[in-house]
Amino acid sequence: MALARWSGMPALGDVPVQIDVDPYMDIDAYDAEGDLMVLNLGPQHPSTHGVFRVKLYLDGEVCIKAVPYLGYLHRGVEKLCEKLTYANVIPIVDKNDYVAPMTSEWGLVAGFEKLIGVEPTPRAKVMRTILGELQRCASHLLWIGTFTLDMGGAIGGGATVFMHTFREREAILDVFAELTGCRFHYNHFTVGGQRHDVPAGWGAMVKAVCDLLEARTEEYESYLTDNTVFKARTVGVGVIDRQLCLEHGLGGPIGRASGVDFDLRRDGDDYGAYGTVDWKVHTHTDGDCYARYLVRLNELRTSIAIVRQLIDGIPEGPICSLKQVKLPGAVKPKAKASMAYAAIETPRGELGTWVMANSERKLMPHPYRCKLRPPSLHAVSLLPYICPGNNVSDIVVTLGSLDPIMGEVDR
Amino acid sequence: MKACHDAIALCESLGLGEVDPEHGPLVPAERGRELAAGLKALGYDYFVTCVATHLPAVEATDDEPGVPERFLVAYRVRRMPKGHFAFRFEVEQDCPSMVAFWSGADWHEREQYDLVGVRFEGHPDLRRIMMPEDWEGHPLRKDYAIETRHFPWR
Repeated sequence: MALARWSGMPALGDVPVQIDVDPYMDIDAYDAEGDLMVLNLGPQHPSTHGVFRVKLYLDGEVCIKAVPYLGYLHRGVEKLCEKLTYANVIPIVDKNDYVAPMTSEWGLVAGFEKLIGVEPTPRAKVMRTILGELQRCASHLLWIGTFTLDMGGAIGGGATVFMHTFREREAILDVFAELTGCRFHYNHFTVGGQRHDVPAGWGAMVKAVCDLLEARTEEYESYLTDNTVFKARTVGVGVIDRQLCLEHGLGGPIGRASGVDFDLRRDGDDYGAYGTVDWKVHTHTDGDCYARYLVRLNELRTSIAIVRQLIDGIPEGPICSLKQVKLPGAVKPKAKASMAYAAIETPRGELGTWVMANSERKLMPHPYRCKLRPPSLHAVSLLPYICPGNNVSDIVVTLGSLDPIMGEVDR
Repeated sequence: MKACHDAIALCESLGLGEVDPEHGPLVPAERGRELAAGLKALGYDYFVTCVATHLPAVEATDDEPGVPERFLVAYRVRRMPKGHFAFRFEVEQDCPSMVAFWSGADWHEREQYDLVGVRFEGHPDLRRIMMPEDWEGHPLRKDYAIETRHFPWR
């Protein structure tokens, strides 16, 4: 299948590259003479945000076909889930989405709670919402930093933005460390609630971080939103169609930047304390890298607003609805052969847990099958659809804008 | 989250039997594509997940007949903004692939093939995704012990 890849005068910049996007294209039939250059992007490359490899077939500098390879970070988390008890799995999934471990734990715990039939206490619900939103801020801050770093330091000279966003992320991690004792990999969530109660003075600390973040978000916006270089690299780059987003299950910031008006915090099962606060879902219709930046920046502001509304009104009461148990095996479901699926909105999109109770002979304290539905896997699976027709430099920016976390993709 | 009324009505019109409010109907494998086409026409565009579970064979006893080895394959889809539906297959080896209806099912089905060992009939590119290409066995099968040793990893 010979495609008119160049027509007219490309140097004038008015003729786009014409390529049929077919992720299952037979590249050997297309390129029988072997003229295409094959470029391995990754697995160890800073722009791939972890150990991820894409095989790019290039005609000049234009990608014809992209074939992603996963599994470099596959650790068998789902097999481990079948061997460990419900309580023991939680610290394992911290390492899945290592940029947002709080929401990573929350996604798993939500599935287990639905299977076991436990409702978290009101105090735990509000606490979880605050932690989840602070984690979203931390994750989006890291994303803004690494995204601008992906553009080769053209923005703000070298790693300026990256250093600035890391400074604020550090303040959020200090808040988490005050609560749980860890900067990340918290092991804070338990089935029915949480492990640690609020220490004295924590509320004031959170409010100070909110003040800091609010001021600094304005600063990032002044760096980037009207920056000519930033816009030249992102506007119209890596456009994702709304229908493609839907079929690939992208509801997070990527889907919302492509016009999918969907947020599990509003549209999913009632979880956390999102029903009691005033907030709105941000969408954009362009679907390019710039739209994804705008959506994440607005989500950052929304998250700060949600935390502010909740921090003064944490209800009194127990932090966990189950008795504090010494033996992790004591936590197990009551019904036989039961299944459950629960999902929450993480900074990257829908994190779901599909879990089936183990009841071969008697009810066991570990799952029979536990499957995680990581949002990053769905984001990365778009690459064969959006890479063809783009330059390598744009592919790096597009991959950065998807914000994939390979620990979560490979599990 | 309960299944939507329009999808339940579709299952009834197709004669798929009992519909679990949470996990949907247990669909015969040969009717899978019919149901998927109906769901797409109703606007269930958003692909959530596909999970396969290995259910080992149960040997026959004096009282009960045995059950052969089979796989439970569960799909979930959504309709914007609040519609939600799930359906399941119980197959012995081949499950109908849903890639033709939801392109996002591609990698999920490859993953289930790789880790659980269920084959997806009609999948355009069914090869391993997480494990190396020359890996033997499917790690999430129940007869695959967690201590299984593999050259050169021990």
